[in-house]
Amino acid sequence: MEQQIGLWVGAFLTMGIISFLYKDNPWYKLTEAIFVGISAGYWFVALFWDNIVGKFWIGVFDRGDYYLLVGAVLGLLMLMRLAPKIGWISRWPLSFVVGAISGFYLLNYFSSNVMLQVQSTIMPLFSPQFNDPLFTSSAGNIISNLFIAGGTFTGLVYFFFSKEHKGAFGGAAKIGIWVIMITFGASFGYTVMSRMSLLIGRMYFIFGEWLNLIG
Amino acid sequence: MRRQVPLIITFFIGALLVISVFIPPMVSLKETFTLYFDIIAVFAFFLGGGNLLRVHLGKLYGKKQDWGFSLVTVAGFAMMLIVGLFKIGNPGGIAASITAEGSLFQKLFEYIMVPLGSTMYALLAFFVASASYRAFRAKNREATILLIGAFIILLGRTPFGMMLTSWIPEQLSILQIPNLAIWIMNGPNLAGQRAIMIGIGLGVVSMSIRILLGIERSYLGEDK
Amino acid sequence: MRNSRVKVNGLFFVLISVFFYSGLSAEEPLIPNPEDTTKICIPRPPTNVLATDAVYDKGNVVNLNWVPSPDDNGDGKILQYQILRRLENDSVFALIDSVIAGTAFYKDETVESGQTYQYMVVAICDGGSGPSEPSPPVTPDMEWLNFALSNIFVIGLLICGSVIYFIGKAKSGRPLFIRKIAGLEAVDEAIGRATEMGRPILYVPGIQDMDDVQTIAGLTILGRVARVVADYDTKIKVPVSRSLVMTASRETLKAAYMAAGRPDAFNENMAQYITDEQFGYVAAVDGMIIRERPATTFFLGAFFAESLILAETGNSIGAIQIGGTANPAQLPFFVAACDFTLIGEELFAASAYLSGEPRQLGSLKGQDVGKALAMIAIVLGAITTTIGQAWNFEFISAIADLLNSLFRTN
Repeated sequence: MEQQIGLWVGAFLTMGIISFLYKDNPWYKLTEAIFVGISAGYWFVALFWDNIVGKFWIGVFDRGDYYLLVGAVLGLLMLMRLAPKIGWISRWPLSFVVGAISGFYLLNYFSSNVMLQVQSTIMPLFSPQFNDPLFTSSAGNIISNLFIAGGTFTGLVYFFFSKEHKGAFGGAAKIGIWVIMITFGASFGYTVMSRMSLLIGRMYFIFGEWLNLIG
Repeated sequence: MRRQVPLIITFFIGALLVISVFIPPMVSLKETFTLYFDIIAVFAFFLGGGNLLRVHLGKLYGKKQDWGFSLVTVAGFAMMLIVGLFKIGNPGGIAASITAEGSLFQKLFEYIMVPLGSTMYALLAFFVASASYRAFRAKNREATILLIGAFIILLGRTPFGMMLTSWIPEQLSILQIPNLAIWIMNGPNLAGQRAIMIGIGLGVVSMSIRILLGIERSYLGEDK
Repeated sequence: MRNSRVKVNGLFFVLISVFFYSGLSAEEPLIPNPEDTTKICIPRPPTNVLATDAVYDKGNVVNLNWVPSPDDNGDGKILQYQILRRLENDSVFALIDSVIAGTAFYKDETVESGQTYQYMVVAICDGGSGPSEPSPPVTPDMEWLNFALSNIFVIGLLICGSVIYFIGKAKSGRPLFIRKIAGLEAVDEAIGRATEMGRPILYVPGIQDMDDVQTIAGLTILGRVARVVADYDTKIKVPVSRSLVMTASRETLKAAYMAAGRPDAFNENMAQYITDEQFGYVAAVDGMIIRERPATTFFLGAFFAESLILAETGNSIGAIQIGGTANPAQLPFFVAACDFTLIGEELFAASAYLSGEPRQLGSLKGQDVGKALAMIAIVLGAITTTIGQAWNFEFISAIADLLNSLFRTN
């Protein structure tokens, strides 16, 4: 019985969302209102039990990790926004967060994005030995390697800010943006298929699980 | 005080985290700060949740357009809070996990949030179709290249792509669509990804420095 | 429950085995007759157990390596290895963990700096066990500086130094050239359009919290956009999916309105919290786009699958759209559905560019030095590795190796 109700509720909400494709309508608005209210509540409850009870309360009072109190103080300072006269204090925890994130990601992105990608691109363009039978037969490989090194290079030219994209430099930048566009195309084509399977999944829910039209 | 303290905090905390990477005893600072962030985020929710209530209750009291939907939002929000915080309908009582099997909170999640979320996600299939249609009318050379790339990869993942180019002789097998798709993924695609990633890395470095030095402070309020 | 019983049984056998162990030599085969293993299984032990102090840590890690039992050949006879540890002065080894068969490495992260430990690895099979000899003692130690990262330190210093150098240089007043970025040149025009049409602007700073650097980038651009919006006296809406982002957005908007000399026009409700749930947020913002028909939409920050839903909905009402993210997988969708796209690095450079302030522009010059460095390394690296390997030039190979080690990250 309960599962039956769940199925009907699920079907009602599923079709409410899909109806948006036709146009905005009261059914969609109702579904949207339910979604927003329920999900906002869900996340607050989940965060409350996970972070405040699980991490903070148990950390401080069961394990004696008193350093966590700093987090609570910062959190309370955040709430000072509610008091108009001292609302500016809420900038302190905000600057703490922004400082921490900037500091942390500065080297994190630098090593994972810059260093690692440059190192991966330092590679031989063709097979080590000229007498290697691979050398003659792997034209595709050589072109591929040239594309990787040359494409990365010209892609970086495209991102250059301090020089106008003119002349030979502009030509390289143009090739760079083409390489980037091929990347985007590849990513686009790759995703299309998986998105279609999502829709098939929801259609199966409506026509199979709910209406029992598909065996 | 109002202007300087936030900038000092940003600089001090940021610099500490940069240095901590190179000093093993300080490496765990990152985890500590992550915990602080998690705690701050919950406190901040009182402001966010409060805003949600204020907006919708405002519509409700003012009997503004669509106030009925605001009532639904407020009711849903309140219901989840009561059910979740007091663990109502949880077979294990207050000590059990909120997501315990058979709990009301878990059922609301399963029967309401899951179908809603997955249907919204599934709408992407339609939007991908309309975006592809637009890309088809390739307005310029860049868009055409994107389209060709997408088309080859798409065909390369279907049996149709194989059928279409199976006549190409073995010596030129690279030109068969599935092979071409693999070549694009491992060649030009990789190059583009790398250029983008290196750019992002440098962009983050530069922005972080601007923030730590207090040059970029639009998020805190510019004091001109 | 069942697992713990297996563990207890295992431990029992370990203790029995350790008890009998002293009388046996390690070379002596423990299984006299392999055909008879169905009755009782006593595996040959792992050998060469070596415990080493992990370098560049707090002194809280010991790495353990061993040669697996000769009976561990993938036929499922060996079930697992148990890791036993004792403090040097203790008489008994205690079980600390177990790993699956086929493993020859364990990282013990539960040691204390300055204490001396010894380890044993015990091969476990159904009903029997084969304990190794104790490892030589190891004393984990704390290091104060991580020299393994010295290359990151040097190159990082070079790039950060050049950013700071150009910021300083810009301060001295020398004009710096920065090329035009189309997506950002369009910002003014896009805001102007909303003003002319008397319709609002929608600004989405991504769907992640403040702990994502893209959100911060999104907010810094919001500061610049809001400044122009305040000047033009246009309406702006910033729906957000995180409470902290709401607070930060309000702070940003307020500052921008103050800077524009329009504090009276600022209203807290410009930034509105929707819900933390990804698709719940999207459902609401989609509704907002259709109902309020913004003339201009900005999607700048961290986006995932929702990028296309938002951008396509915006497209359907004919809004001018500027999208930007550093998630490469979502960029193609912005390219397809938005009028202008800020690709990766451009997102982080946008605020500096829009500010037009010399110091900020200087920092963009600094990051170009990083790009030049990367480009040189790529070209030099490709040439030297190719020539070095093809013709076996030692000197050139040495340059290639040097470049490789300069950019290594582990």
